[in-house]
Amino acid sequence: MNRSAALKAPAGLQARMLLTIFLLGVVYLALIAALFASGASGVFIALIAGGLFVFQLFAAEKLGLRAMGAEEVSPREAPELHAMIERLCVQADLPKPKVAIMRTSMPNAFAMGRSKKAATVCVTTGIMEILSPAELEGVLAHELSHIRHRDVVVMTIVSFFASIASMILQFGFFFGGGSDDDDSPGFLALFLVSLIVYVVSFFLMSALSRYREFAADRGAAEITRRPSALSSALMKISGTMDRIPQQDLRANSELAAFYIARPSTKSVLNLFSTHPPMDKRIAALERLEAQIQGTAAATPLAA
Amino acid sequence: MGFLDSLLGRSRTPKPAKQDRLFAMSTAYVTLETAHGMTSGGKAGIVFQAEATADFARILADAEEVLRATGAETGTDVKMEDDKYGYRWVVLSDPDVEDLVVGINAIKDALDVGGYGARLLAVVFRFKREGGRDAYFIYNVKRGLWYPFVPAGGEQQRDNEAELRLKAQLASELPMEPELERWFPLWGAPL
Repeated sequence: MNRSAALKAPAGLQARMLLTIFLLGVVYLALIAALFASGASGVFIALIAGGLFVFQLFAAEKLGLRAMGAEEVSPREAPELHAMIERLCVQADLPKPKVAIMRTSMPNAFAMGRSKKAATVCVTTGIMEILSPAELEGVLAHELSHIRHRDVVVMTIVSFFASIASMILQFGFFFGGGSDDDDSPGFLALFLVSLIVYVVSFFLMSALSRYREFAADRGAAEITRRPSALSSALMKISGTMDRIPQQDLRANSELAAFYIARPSTKSVLNLFSTHPPMDKRIAALERLEAQIQGTAAATPLAA
Repeated sequence: MGFLDSLLGRSRTPKPAKQDRLFAMSTAYVTLETAHGMTSGGKAGIVFQAEATADFARILADAEEVLRATGAETGTDVKMEDDKYGYRWVVLSDPDVEDLVVGINAIKDALDVGGYGARLLAVVFRFKREGGRDAYFIYNVKRGLWYPFVPAGGEQQRDNEAELRLKAQLASELPMEPELERWFPLWGAPL
């Protein structure tokens, strides 16, 4: 029996991802319609947001890394880390991303960048200390899968209209509240539509981000064929994550979607979370390991 | 990877390149020895990520056994080694480069036919250079392309000048990787 066949893509997960993207599209269409219906001011806001979007796509990588205090390291400064990433890149047939290290005891890792060729993988000194090489490799493969799936671009595009909605809401609060004379009924409608779009897209985006975490875990298992090593890494990370307080990281919620594990997930409701609960991810990885070992039950993978 | 694959977060680990150019070495080495003053270091290795399954272990053990049997005739020495990154190497020693190519290809084919082609990383040949450090020729199995790797004196230092010269000298013999950012070094190769 040929057991090395590609890991089955979980059909349920793909369907949910497509549905989420479709629903986001529907919600956003409503916003676009409202923008045009409201006339010049709506289109003007959309143009500003478009500019911001392009800026975000091209500058986010550098700005984000600088804001987090991550430093790019050369192969001479971190030979082992570079060698590990290089081998994973050969395995996954990816160009080599830039490698950065963040000096903090918080164990974490993330990937940034708009394309395969302009990407950075960053790990903290904390994660390198607590993980064994095989576990670290699993985490790096997870981050490389994010790059491969173009998660940064997908999430940036998906959040584009949500950020327009949020701009309109702020715009409305600042200018709409005072005098009623320049408040056309069109603008009030736009304000309401934006509110709904903002709330709904927030939940949909959180869901999409969670699905993409599962997809990246599966991608990591495809690259290393050692899902158990990634499970064990996740267990170690979640074990220490809540014990070591690191205020600066937790405060930075925009970047949370790109972390290997979200800082402090305990009290956060599932619905709001950008990351699936750790035990669900570990259970999904266990099923992948069973597939690799050829002991998987005939039942299709749920996640 | 297509648009839909990105959108749905699907990825596959690529299989070995359809067009296999490993055998280009069995003629290129003649040019290396006659025209460029290099001699074979008598060693070649294939590196892959061993899968922790009984199936994989059996296929690899079978391939190794066959290789040892044929190696006894051709005078090829077979060695298996794990490096510090957890990758497995099969290292062959034989003064005859053609025997090395055939032996390496046997391991590569056995894993590929067994369905584990996606685990294969690279093949490495070592050459001695006149008045310089040893050079390695690395064959990226997934891309089916070659590139040179010449370590310089210091730690993690490569002699890019020598590498680019080798690329120019051998471009007509070995299909070279055009993207320089994919000239991944393999430090600490056990050969």
